[in-house]
Amino acid sequence: MVDAVLDTTTAGANSGRQRLADLLFRGTTRLFAFGVLMLLGAVMLSLLIGGAPAFQAFGFAFLWGDVWNPVKQIFGGAPAIYGTLITSLIAMLIGVPLALGVAMFLTELCPPLLRRPIGILIELLAAIPSIIYGIWGLFVLAPFLQLTVQPFLKETLGNIPLIDFLFRGPPLGIGVLTAGFILAVMVLPFIAAVTRDVFLTVPAILRESAYGIGCTTAEVVRDIVLPYTRIGVVGGVMLGLGRALGETMAVTFVIGNAHRISASLLAPGTTISATLANEFSEAVGPLYIPSLVLLGFILFIITFCVLAIAKLLLLRLDRQAAK
Amino acid sequence: MTIYTRRRATNLVILTLSLFATGLGLLVLFLILGALLYHGVPALSPSTFTQATPAPGNQGGLSNAIFGSVVMTAVATLIGTPVGILTGTYLAEYGRGTWLAPLVRFVNDILLSAPSIVIGVFVYTLMVVPMGHFSAWAGSIALAILVVPVVVRTTEDMLNLVPSGLREAAFALGTPGWKVVVMITYRAALQGMMTGVMLAVARIAGETAPLLFTALNNQFSTTNLNGPMGNLPVVIFQFAMSPYADWQRLAWGGALLITFAILFLNIGARFLANWSGGSTSR
Amino acid sequence: MTIDVNRVDTPTQSPARPPLGTAPMVSINRTAERGVPQTKVVIKDLRFYYRNYEALKGINLELYDRRVTAFIGPSGCGKSTLLRILNRIYDLYPGQRATGQVLVDGKDILDPRTDLNLLRARIGMVFQKPTPFPMSIYDNIAFGIRLYESLSAQELDNRVEQALRRAALWDEVKDKLKQSGLSLSGGQQQRLCIARAVAVKPEILLLDEPCSALDPLSTQRVEELIAELKSDYTIAIVTHNMQQAARSSDYTAFMYLGQLIEFDETEAIFTHPKERQTEDYITGRFG
Repeated sequence: MVDAVLDTTTAGANSGRQRLADLLFRGTTRLFAFGVLMLLGAVMLSLLIGGAPAFQAFGFAFLWGDVWNPVKQIFGGAPAIYGTLITSLIAMLIGVPLALGVAMFLTELCPPLLRRPIGILIELLAAIPSIIYGIWGLFVLAPFLQLTVQPFLKETLGNIPLIDFLFRGPPLGIGVLTAGFILAVMVLPFIAAVTRDVFLTVPAILRESAYGIGCTTAEVVRDIVLPYTRIGVVGGVMLGLGRALGETMAVTFVIGNAHRISASLLAPGTTISATLANEFSEAVGPLYIPSLVLLGFILFIITFCVLAIAKLLLLRLDRQAAK
Repeated sequence: MTIYTRRRATNLVILTLSLFATGLGLLVLFLILGALLYHGVPALSPSTFTQATPAPGNQGGLSNAIFGSVVMTAVATLIGTPVGILTGTYLAEYGRGTWLAPLVRFVNDILLSAPSIVIGVFVYTLMVVPMGHFSAWAGSIALAILVVPVVVRTTEDMLNLVPSGLREAAFALGTPGWKVVVMITYRAALQGMMTGVMLAVARIAGETAPLLFTALNNQFSTTNLNGPMGNLPVVIFQFAMSPYADWQRLAWGGALLITFAILFLNIGARFLANWSGGSTSR
Repeated sequence: MTIDVNRVDTPTQSPARPPLGTAPMVSINRTAERGVPQTKVVIKDLRFYYRNYEALKGINLELYDRRVTAFIGPSGCGKSTLLRILNRIYDLYPGQRATGQVLVDGKDILDPRTDLNLLRARIGMVFQKPTPFPMSIYDNIAFGIRLYESLSAQELDNRVEQALRRAALWDEVKDKLKQSGLSLSGGQQQRLCIARAVAVKPEILLLDEPCSALDPLSTQRVEELIAELKSDYTIAIVTHNMQQAARSSDYTAFMYLGQLIEFDETEAIFTHPKERQTEDYITGRFG
């Protein structure tokens, strides 16, 4: 009978001094909770204020201006924004299928004894800091790509008429594609973890019925599990996207830091976070820092929207699961 | 091919691909750890811990960077943990039915995944500009802002796991509300909450971006929190991107130190979470 | 009304008591031998609501001092709900409310101005599931005492020992007082909870199916305990086990669907019940 939710607030009347202590404690927790809200507001406000001079100077044209000239104090955010979006896109295109594969393996294929250890190892991938991915990317992955994968891509996909422009230019090892690869590996564990958890919410009876009529494992996942967990999977993907958009150090090491928009994936570029990381501490001139801060504001808005959508989707899933 | 054989073939392909995906993930993990060991172990020696970062071409170590990282991580944890615990307490114990609690939860999750470089910019505007200089305090605050969402999340989850029967038993004795939370509920959730703190520490230990323009870096050993202070992540960044071989070597050494410290913390947190049950009922 | 923290000196706490375990199972017919029963709690037209659902529909009854009153009835009849009103523990849950009057020693505890902490120090509760606090056995007992009294270390030790003896647990735990309360078996944990409840010297003890999570041996020990305790406390016990009610209580209340069907001396209820429903329940025709 007592399955209602206990609320410490309604504990009722107390003697004077205890009541004061209760109110003080509860009030303090409430204060700090408010503080978290204020924090978000403060971040957005300070970015807005800091970037205001740049916005005043360039207006909305900042979004598509592609000139980044600190000497002349002309700044356009397009290369950075483009780089952020394209690297995240590559990361998603590669990382999401891989993550789904990992989740499928862990929930359907993996022998039960190995499930936990492998799951933990995948989660350790998420624990490795961005900067480690960065130096590994620069010293290990980039040379490898330069010597093997990139020439291979040039020779194969680079000769197909409609997409050959994607693979022009010398294989440098670093560049937009490499950054995309690294990001893919970085978001893999996040998406895999959420997807696996979401896959596990499928009622056993549904899966058993599907197996019972002779479905293969792949069919069970494609036709039963995925449709059932659709919302949660998309939520997990968006969570991963939010991460990819904001990643800094790993990208900074391997993207080449060129304020250029190139069609080729093999070319160097930049992202918003890489620009900030590289240039912030040495920025001089009245519009330099405000432009950087404005870029930061744009990044924050983009990630905020993506994360908010992810959260809403996952909340919908919770409500659905609770029924 | 009959339909059936086609289905079986598709199944085989997809399952193989999923195995391949997992293998790839594990491969990358081992490649990274392997590279760290391969490049990092030769770079480590006692002098790494005793000497400060050198100018290019000179001998040196990472002592000031290690010191700075430890100090700033500790200060950040000391500041962020109480904030996180109190907020998490509000969400779990007092927030039912309010409009504030769901909103705070939502915002908290956004802060959890927000780009850490933006937090760095925020603290720069908030502290570095008014103060006129970089400082370890600013760096610690930036890290503390990253600690808070992690601790809020784990505190709320752990407190919610404490069965309400335990709280009822405490109330039935005449325990005032705040004592129920502080002396009973916290105690019951202590292990879980400590796990949360460990995970938060693991999170900030490797963070570079927020330190780039708050604490910056310092070539020399210093204990002055009111000025720029050396720290491992920024040192690794500078040294690795440089053309100097001995700097690059030190960078690998530092990377090895950070990574294994973080993995150690992560695994330690898992052990703590699973240790001797820890729940309040049999 | 304030808690009398010096109850240790009242004459009823007589030191000369037969050692635990040797006291015979007290027959309920000793009621007459222990004098005229004094009214401790008067319940008048008590109604209880979960949101808009009326769970208790006008209850009227009395609980007598130093007597055991058992509440029986099928699941969902409201007996636990009633018990939980007596220490206002339902207040923790928004959306649950009670109307009517519950007079303890003449004062209405449903009055919003009642100090709930002091009330709950006077009226102790033991729950169905043992809930030892996550601390040592000693601290489990000492916790409640420390809330309202400041005693010297020696006095505290004595009180803890007293409480554990009353709960028939002392011999089993006296060498491991520093161990966690969670390290005890289920039956021991429940006796620990009982010790914890009596340590703060309440006047009334509410027991909500205290044995239902225990094995038969532990159940027997707890029942012996209740027989011991009733010489000092007013006890209200909710139980699913009719034999337990018949064995241990002086008065029995039979409830059904939120209403009090019959309330009488236990012997009367079980040998010649007045209501048809009571008879049906007791003879096992439903429930």
